[in-house]
Amino acid sequence: MSMDVIDYEIFGNEMQYVEIELDPGEAAIGEAGAMMMMQDGIQMDTVFGDGSAQQGGLFSKLLGAGKRLLTGESLFTTIFHNEGAGKRRVAFAAPYPGKIVPVDLSEIGGTLICQKDSFLCAARGVGLGIAFQRKLGAGLFGGEGFIMQKLEGDGMAFVHAGGTLLAKDLAPGESLRVDTGCVVAFVPSVDFDIQYVGKLKSALFSGEGLFFANLRGPGRVWLQSLPLSRLANRIVLAAPAAGGRGREEGSLLGGLGGLLDGDE
Amino acid sequence: MTSQPGELLPKRNAASVGSTGADPGAARIPARLFGPGMSVAGQDVWLRADGSALAVESPALPLPCDAVRLRRAGFDLKGWELSWDTAEGVYALQALSPASATVLTSLLPPSLNRQLQTHLQRHRGGRTKRLLGWTALGIFLSFPLLLFAAFLVWSDAVAGWIADKIPREQERRLGELSFAQMKTGMKLRDDTEGARLLRELGGKLTQGSRYSYRFHLADKTEINAFAMPGGIVVVNTGLVAATRRPEELAGVLAHEIQHVELRHSLKAIIKHSGVSGLWMFATGDIGAGMVGDTATRMLSLRFSRDAEREADTRGLELLHRAGIDPSGVPEFFEILARKSGSPPAFLSTHPVSSDREQTLRAKIGALPQKPTAPLPWSPWPPAM
Repeated sequence: MSMDVIDYEIFGNEMQYVEIELDPGEAAIGEAGAMMMMQDGIQMDTVFGDGSAQQGGLFSKLLGAGKRLLTGESLFTTIFHNEGAGKRRVAFAAPYPGKIVPVDLSEIGGTLICQKDSFLCAARGVGLGIAFQRKLGAGLFGGEGFIMQKLEGDGMAFVHAGGTLLAKDLAPGESLRVDTGCVVAFVPSVDFDIQYVGKLKSALFSGEGLFFANLRGPGRVWLQSLPLSRLANRIVLAAPAAGGRGREEGSLLGGLGGLLDGDE
Repeated sequence: MTSQPGELLPKRNAASVGSTGADPGAARIPARLFGPGMSVAGQDVWLRADGSALAVESPALPLPCDAVRLRRAGFDLKGWELSWDTAEGVYALQALSPASATVLTSLLPPSLNRQLQTHLQRHRGGRTKRLLGWTALGIFLSFPLLLFAAFLVWSDAVAGWIADKIPREQERRLGELSFAQMKTGMKLRDDTEGARLLRELGGKLTQGSRYSYRFHLADKTEINAFAMPGGIVVVNTGLVAATRRPEELAGVLAHEIQHVELRHSLKAIIKHSGVSGLWMFATGDIGAGMVGDTATRMLSLRFSRDAEREADTRGLELLHRAGIDPSGVPEFFEILARKSGSPPAFLSTHPVSSDREQTLRAKIGALPQKPTAPLPWSPWPPAM
């Protein structure tokens, strides 16, 4: 598989975008709709499937597209190809507040398993596939569902998730308990499973739910501090139009109402 | 994909085991080593296995077979991990590809083979449990769909059962509500001679009913009449004008009255809301608009045809009981069939009128003979 070596730069703090520099002839693939801007000389081409199998037949293309559908991505991938003479730049923006993580697939062993929908862009040649969760418990309660996304290759890939992202290296046998839903990505050498919180009282009242996600080394894992669903939930709760409290609008009690209510 | 040194299983893979002269029953298996002080991605190494001992090659690393733990590894759980403790920390060796996992398990030293057997045994034991779990999950996930399908199949029975639980007073209020809504779009002619005759005829037909009926005449040329739950019957002036004698109008009224008596509209409403509600429940509202609507419409159509036939038959009986000549009913359908090529709105969901006319005539023939007096009103149609 021929990978393009791409240079990149990430801009912004909480709402980021990544700018990728393409040498002449190089290309990057982007999630449909993620492109923010591109310079003159960059050709945009939309292909069915993930664009990695350049020689593949119709069937393999269909298969690739079907896989993408399962992971909640668009059926099409867009390839940004530098047709110009010099270096050109193309930028991809994250769709919600969070961080973009650059992952060098060659550095982590060639395969990354990540949350559905977290793929943003990659060097051409990175294959997008699905990884099916075979553990019933982990699929049901692990917070990531039964279908995850698999990025394969040895180029750069960019994934995006909510809040602040933390990359953690786990030594062999070292395990980390994570709130379900906060796992963004891990390498296949990591064992991803669930673990019961341990006590009935904790299960009911700790607010952590019944299970933790348990990540066991060796390998690198990426965690997000704020899953989008959690953020969305808070926003809806606070939105007056959606039946939320809308405290800032000033009720009869005004500021006092807010004081009485307390704040989170 | 993985940057293993060389090909996946060089020279001595499973097929060549035993046939390679120098070292029978041995294999070099590509694996990845993780350990203290090493890169997080691990290091590609060769694991040498010959059924009695294991050794890591390049870099050479002692592998204390008796202290090694074996477990399943990899996201798809198809690989194996060997891990062991040293003074510096824990080492782990993973063979994740299915091919290397197969070779590894066939060439494990005895102590590890015992661990493997326990693993496999536990796996076999757990298989039933897993199967049960997946089945339960499948049923749980498809439950709303099953519920929806069941409702579609037994919708008549279910709607009838629910309708029986709704008190008549509630039904009447529902009818009033929809009539109030409908009234804004039509002109009523309740103070005309036609309306008076309509009320008189209706009163004659609904004597002793559990419902208190109200009959209205609406100023519309369309040949149509409809009944709302609870006993509100609206007849268009166009329909009255199209009849040639009062018996024909009596037939239409009897039909509409039977819709009320049999609670057809109530059942239709229950079915509609049941189908769309259950569909939303089953699909999480994704695409509820399209498929749900289609299903609802198809269902209400079928319901209507059944209901129309029932109302036809029972309407005839009602006329017969009231001493009104029922032959006005098929006559009226004859007019309708002749009136225009496309059936009027009132018939859109009704059985084809010519079939209907024949069925009606056959049914009239089957009714016991009873003397009927012609309705006295003339001239017909009355002033409206």
